[in-house]
Amino acid sequence: MSDELAGLDLCDVADRIRSRDISATEVTQTAIRRAERLQPVLNAFIQLEADEALDAARKIDNRIASGESVGSLAGVPLAHKDMYYRKGKVTTCGSKIRADFVADRTSTALARLEDAGAIYLGGLNMSEFAVGPIGNNVHYGDCHNPWNPDHAPGGSSSGSGASVAARIVYGALGSDTGGSIRIPSAMSGVVGFKPTQNRVSRYGLMPLSFSFDCGGPLTRTVRDAARIMDVIAGYDPKDPTSSRRPIDACEAACGTGINGLRIGLPSSYFYDDLHPGVAAAMDTAQRVFAHAGAELVPVDVPNHDHINLIWAAALSAEAATIHRKWLRDRPDDYGPMVRRRIEFGLYQPATRYLEAMTLREKYLREYCATAFADCDVLLTPTMPVPAPRLADVDVSDGAGMPELVMMVSRNTRPISYLGLPALSVPCGFTDEGLPVAFQLIGRPFAEAQLCTLGHAYQQDTDWHRRVPSLAGI
Amino acid sequence: MGKTMSLITGDFVAKLAKVWHRFTLSDQDSETLATMLAPMDDAGEAVSGDIEFDMEPSDFDIALEKLAAPRDKS
Repeated sequence: MSDELAGLDLCDVADRIRSRDISATEVTQTAIRRAERLQPVLNAFIQLEADEALDAARKIDNRIASGESVGSLAGVPLAHKDMYYRKGKVTTCGSKIRADFVADRTSTALARLEDAGAIYLGGLNMSEFAVGPIGNNVHYGDCHNPWNPDHAPGGSSSGSGASVAARIVYGALGSDTGGSIRIPSAMSGVVGFKPTQNRVSRYGLMPLSFSFDCGGPLTRTVRDAARIMDVIAGYDPKDPTSSRRPIDACEAACGTGINGLRIGLPSSYFYDDLHPGVAAAMDTAQRVFAHAGAELVPVDVPNHDHINLIWAAALSAEAATIHRKWLRDRPDDYGPMVRRRIEFGLYQPATRYLEAMTLREKYLREYCATAFADCDVLLTPTMPVPAPRLADVDVSDGAGMPELVMMVSRNTRPISYLGLPALSVPCGFTDEGLPVAFQLIGRPFAEAQLCTLGHAYQQDTDWHRRVPSLAGI
Repeated sequence: MGKTMSLITGDFVAKLAKVWHRFTLSDQDSETLATMLAPMDDAGEAVSGDIEFDMEPSDFDIALEKLAAPRDKS
């Protein structure tokens, strides 16, 4: 029975716990057992809080038994990228520098999940300080891809993707500054949801770049991601940059029809130079949407080459501002690749940084006026290539590093610069058995619409039902 | 990386590191950084002409709200 529990979706397990069909305690015990069993293979966790999780699960069971009303995630074991602060607890940020950092606050996203009854299972592996799309970590060891441990899991939310794909937890929060939710979700074959900038509070989330950081979920299904989004999204007085715009319920949007929705297929950039397995999966995905009633239309998109580079300049300037003291005093405590990518920011003129930030509005307007002129959403590959082998991406801080980063994050970075929401959904496998994913990109605050489309796709396909063999389900 | 017009050199980066940030870069580090910074410098130069007098970064947050998809009434 226990491994069957692990194979359930988040929404299913939550609904069965609430109806007392199964207990939060047995679900949590299963998750802990699986986390311990798979840790030597995947290295997905930095910290496992087994005792605390079991205590919380028993409390949820007692509340349900006494007839108390509980939240939409009651009793569901989740774990999160180890950069969401918990007051009084160590949050490593995947780094040596913060290996003993005890947070003085709890992140709003975690507090909202706890209010909804979710069980906190532990802190997940990640790229050091959330820098790096591969998912390797020189301090805590590399996280591995559940579909093939020789391959990268994707980063920077590496443990989030791996633990959800391996059916250890039912969902995990990650963070996305240039693709760090979407890339690991694509490489690990799970759903990843990067919301609109300012939609989810950043309070208590380790900063990498205050202008581009977004928190969001990685889950097994779109509906699961929608349920978590409904809990964590919305204005937070502790984060004055969070949007006051009312939220559209995402889970309720799953199941509404997609007839007549117009899906734009960019005629340039996103579909350039695709791996054959990615190209084939995208062709099939387009046919699925067309068959389900959506209208596919070719669209022109602005040139992204400059956007990608000025995004990198602005991101590094913000990151270097945060890290400057440590870069000077503790340079050897960074991994070489991470230090190098942050270091760029020390050499950006203030005017260049401010130009990049100032032009965001102009380029967003132009994007909406062109790319979204004749469609509701864009459909693109999340990544042009599948997960690379870990042995092939050990480029440290050398000359090959920028090309590697660009290859992996080419399709995600411009969307982060523009602040748009994007939902990554598994849509097939390469001949080598590695996952492929598409991303649906919406206008600002179109999260619910993305859920409608992503959920409709999953009703007609079963890629999200495939489980890595090492998961043992 | 392709051909660059940037004038950033390793010596220049090393000087900035010393003057602005008070640390010393090795020759190899400063050369590597210069190579990686050059395309960013070119891109920044290319877009700088798009700046108009009355723009400011906070316009982006306003634009996000104004350009939002119509709210779902269902």
